[in-house]
Amino acid sequence: QLVSALHNLTRHVVYRGLTEAEDILSLFPENFHQNLKNLLTKIILENISAWRNEAEASQISLPRLVDVDWRVDIKTSSDSISRMAIPTCLLQLKIQEDVALCGNSPVVSALTLELSKETLDTMLESLGRIRDQLSAVANK
Amino acid sequence: AADKINLMPQDFFAELCEQIIQHLNHKIPGVNTAELCQRMQTSGIEINAGDLEKIANVISFLFSTAARNSLSTEELVTTLGNAVSTLPKHAVQVIRHVWNERSKSISVSEDARSMATVGQFVDIKWKLGVAVSSDSCRSLKYPYVTVMLKVADPSGQITDKSFEMTIPQFQNFFRQFKEMAAVLETV
Repeated sequence: QLVSALHNLTRHVVYRGLTEAEDILSLFPENFHQNLKNLLTKIILENISAWRNEAEASQISLPRLVDVDWRVDIKTSSDSISRMAIPTCLLQLKIQEDVALCGNSPVVSALTLELSKETLDTMLESLGRIRDQLSAVANK
Repeated sequence: AADKINLMPQDFFAELCEQIIQHLNHKIPGVNTAELCQRMQTSGIEINAGDLEKIANVISFLFSTAARNSLSTEELVTTLGNAVSTLPKHAVQVIRHVWNERSKSISVSEDARSMATVGQFVDIKWKLGVAVSSDSCRSLKYPYVTVMLKVADPSGQITDKSFEMTIPQFQNFFRQFKEMAAVLETV
């Protein structure tokens, strides 16, 4: 019961986004033990941003990008073409499936793709546009 | 797969064959079975994506083998052998017609692109969002980037992969691509 009550209290504080000591203190009932109230408030304040980050990280979402690895290769020949020098990019994205669905054992899948110079340029162009949008939104 | 082809009306089957030929011609990176399946389901045809993929693979194999061996239309139909009797007439008609029209245009020599053993990047779609509230935080201002990559796997099927990134992750993502491009310049 105690653990459950503490859990509810901390969840409530994170939900409401309370950051001031007075706001948290006002949650306790009138006749609550003064020192205990202050101690709990102090501990909550110390942990509040970590808990909030945790809540943000574990909210429902699409699968999340976890890692990016890449390599540039040059194709020099194949059974049908004896000589060539074609650079290609090999990209491996590690994607973690929805945290909320996986609980304690996250499922990470690897997506490996090949990009040519043209498709790499397409990707860069799109990413550049996302960056421009981000700056536009940030400046508002 | 023959019995599943029964489920496909002639125009959709023709469209599938057309896409397969274009893929073999390297005109398109892959066959968008997911999209075709969705359209068929919307018009009431009960077919699932897995079955459509199998059909696409079988037809693709049929056409590419025929191209490699320079088969004429009659030879192709003979290769179908026993299957001809199980396939619906309209399907055989489509195969005949497509092969008559297009067999000469299929280039048997493969170029560097078809040597892929991994998926090929086809397209990227993106969205920038801000999470405003959730069951754990009433007031959020959590920006994120959602990305959907279209990938053509080695067999030519196009699949979509969606995922999210935080802003710092996106910036790192962008930086990695810029580095790749820089390396490609020097190579």
